[in-house]
Amino acid sequence: MIGPSGVASVPFPPGEYDVVVVGSGPGALQAAYYLSRLGIDHAVISADPAPGGMFRQFPFFQRLLSWTKPHAGPPHDSREYERYDFNSLVAFEVENRAIMPALMDGSSEFPSRAEMEAGLVEFVRRTGLRIRFDTHWEGTTRQGDRFVLHTPAGEYRTRVPIFSVGAAQPLLPDDIPGIEHASHYVDTRDAASYAGTRLFIMGKANSAFELASGLLQWASPIILASPRPAQLSVNLHSLGGVRARYVQPWEDAALGGGVFILDAAVERLERHAGGIAVHTRRTDTLDPFVAEVDEVIAATGFTAPLLDLPALGVTTFGRSGFPSMTNSYESASVPGIFFAGTITQGVAGLKKYGIPANSGAVHGYRYNGRIAVDEIAARYFGIVRARREVAPEDVIERLLTSASTAPELWHQKSYLAYALSRDPDGAIREDGIVSLAAYVDSDGPDGVAITVETDDQGHIRPAVYVRRRGRVDADALLDESPLTEYRTPQHRAQLGALVADVLG
Amino acid sequence: MALSTGDKRALLERVPLFGGCSSDMLDTLAAVTSESDFAGDAPIVQQGQIGNGLYLVVSGGVRIVAGGSELARFGPGDFFGELSVIDQRPRVASAFAVGPTVCLALASWDLLAVLEKEPGIAVNMLKELARRLRDTDAQLRS
Amino acid sequence: MSDAAVLDALAGLALFSDLERPQLQAVAHTLAEEAIPAGQRVLRQGFSGSGFFIILEGEVAVHVDGHEVATLGKGDFFGEISLLLGEPPVADVLATTEVRALHLAGPDLKAFLLAYPAVMFRMLQAVSRRLDRANRRS
Repeated sequence: MIGPSGVASVPFPPGEYDVVVVGSGPGALQAAYYLSRLGIDHAVISADPAPGGMFRQFPFFQRLLSWTKPHAGPPHDSREYERYDFNSLVAFEVENRAIMPALMDGSSEFPSRAEMEAGLVEFVRRTGLRIRFDTHWEGTTRQGDRFVLHTPAGEYRTRVPIFSVGAAQPLLPDDIPGIEHASHYVDTRDAASYAGTRLFIMGKANSAFELASGLLQWASPIILASPRPAQLSVNLHSLGGVRARYVQPWEDAALGGGVFILDAAVERLERHAGGIAVHTRRTDTLDPFVAEVDEVIAATGFTAPLLDLPALGVTTFGRSGFPSMTNSYESASVPGIFFAGTITQGVAGLKKYGIPANSGAVHGYRYNGRIAVDEIAARYFGIVRARREVAPEDVIERLLTSASTAPELWHQKSYLAYALSRDPDGAIREDGIVSLAAYVDSDGPDGVAITVETDDQGHIRPAVYVRRRGRVDADALLDESPLTEYRTPQHRAQLGALVADVLG
Repeated sequence: MALSTGDKRALLERVPLFGGCSSDMLDTLAAVTSESDFAGDAPIVQQGQIGNGLYLVVSGGVRIVAGGSELARFGPGDFFGELSVIDQRPRVASAFAVGPTVCLALASWDLLAVLEKEPGIAVNMLKELARRLRDTDAQLRS
Repeated sequence: MSDAAVLDALAGLALFSDLERPQLQAVAHTLAEEAIPAGQRVLRQGFSGSGFFIILEGEVAVHVDGHEVATLGKGDFFGEISLLLGEPPVADVLATTEVRALHLAGPDLKAFLLAYPAVMFRMLQAVSRRLDRANRRS
């Protein structure tokens, strides 16, 4: 930033701010964007020297798994287009939308890592977001209702910190003797350096298969092992499991090509003159099995670098140690501490049929950020979004249009919903995009929330939740539609019958 | 009297706990049952004793007694102590033979051994218990 | 939570008390741990797509038609009745404190029980006891 005197000035000096965002990856940038458009005073601090977050380094083999389709149909600056663009951050202003399709070189619908990083830099430039870089959050203390974030540059004091610090901190199993002989996924070297290596990969989730795919022509054999069987994302109807691009090692194993996939628990690693002996016990037979290899890579997961937040009272859960959070991404145990970005995957939502939301990815958490910021705006600054009135005769069309085209519903199925309520004055107004779990579990006026849901057979349907006398009693699924277009006479009739008594 | 597997299966079929089981599953269960003969008035189970399995009446009769009064009479094809095959709990009543009586017994530890090999049987039993629990809870609320 | 701590927590549950360590590790990878803030429902009366839960920490209240009928805590499980019968839950289960629970997707329950007959037998015993208690109340 160049100030009026022509000298570069660094934004957000240490001090007091209404909100402080920690991070400069997509989650932090999206949250900062929403804050700036609501006019909420805030600082953004980041340890990095430039925007991009994890995309400054990952993915390893350089092309993302999420797509942006330039020819999908709707105009790029429309909200409907977001359904087909998993990678751009979202904006109210049309000129700040759909940055990625314009920037990608057209050789693939999956952006390269460099393109994704460039897209985030461009979003910052166009939207005028300011970030204080090279400012490392090192610790946190409390002073009354203020949180104090300690950095080498000084202290940042706020009632509302938003931590968008990603989940890229390596997790190694802590109960396996000899684990120090394994390297973690994040330390994977250039693929060619594994030429002729006998490789053991601990893990069978997506990152393990990603490694096996990237090293397929170099290492042999490649053994993938973990206690339970691998699962493909297409079978799980979600982004969980092994993504389509990384199924090659699975096919290789099926054809006996030099990849081996085992259900086994690693018990210990022993280094000796000839390499590393990996001692395992098979989960099915409980028999021991020893693999003699040259290298072991642990694709055993990641955690969020929450530093001393747990000491402050932030409860966490699971192996990854994500914070326990409310439906608006506030710490369940320390009010005032909020989270954004991939960490928001810690809020499970309804998780019907076990299908998780897409909150771990940009196209999911870019919408979660708005839920968090709206909550902060309302609770701390009295800023409440105007709720547009909807004429009774437009209710059905509005709900079905949302189910057919709203990007929030399509990227966060059964997790975000579009809701309408009947106010005390009798008028029907939009609540807009809401957390489905919050809607169905909280008291409130008569109304309807609609979302899109997948079942365990992969059938996608609109799902309707009617609130009567403060309670949502059941879910109601509308018919499927081959091209997911729900503005049909049949759907209008079904939906009309369901909501007649509350919004008719 | 030595019962054939078919006879045993016919008796087991009448037990709702095994309602969802296929003929093969029932044959597997039949193979681990055992016959016991009781003289008239002989005790079959005692109230308060830890139960260890279910009994099916093959021939003769059984008198169920608790707190000094007779609760029920069972004849051929009837059964009692159904849930104790899953969970050894104290018998809520005593059972005595009425005249010479033959019973088929299924012990809980023998059932457990069968379940390890044929877990499908346990799924059916679970479903039956789930149905009963839901029905009982519904009755309690009505 | 560390891997060792996760396994210890699982080993301490009655449902898994017959499992060997590699099986416990497989179970740890099969069940997802979730955090539910106080006041939120874990199981929702009348909703499709419900799952199976085992409480690791915290307390829940079981409500039927708005009335509390039971409370459950660490080691207790719920959700299996609906899944076994293929029907939506007839009760709400509400977190009364912050809860950490293991979750198994509905469609996966049967395969999970078939894979671990010892776990299924423990579940049979627990459900049988619940039925016994319910029968005594009626």
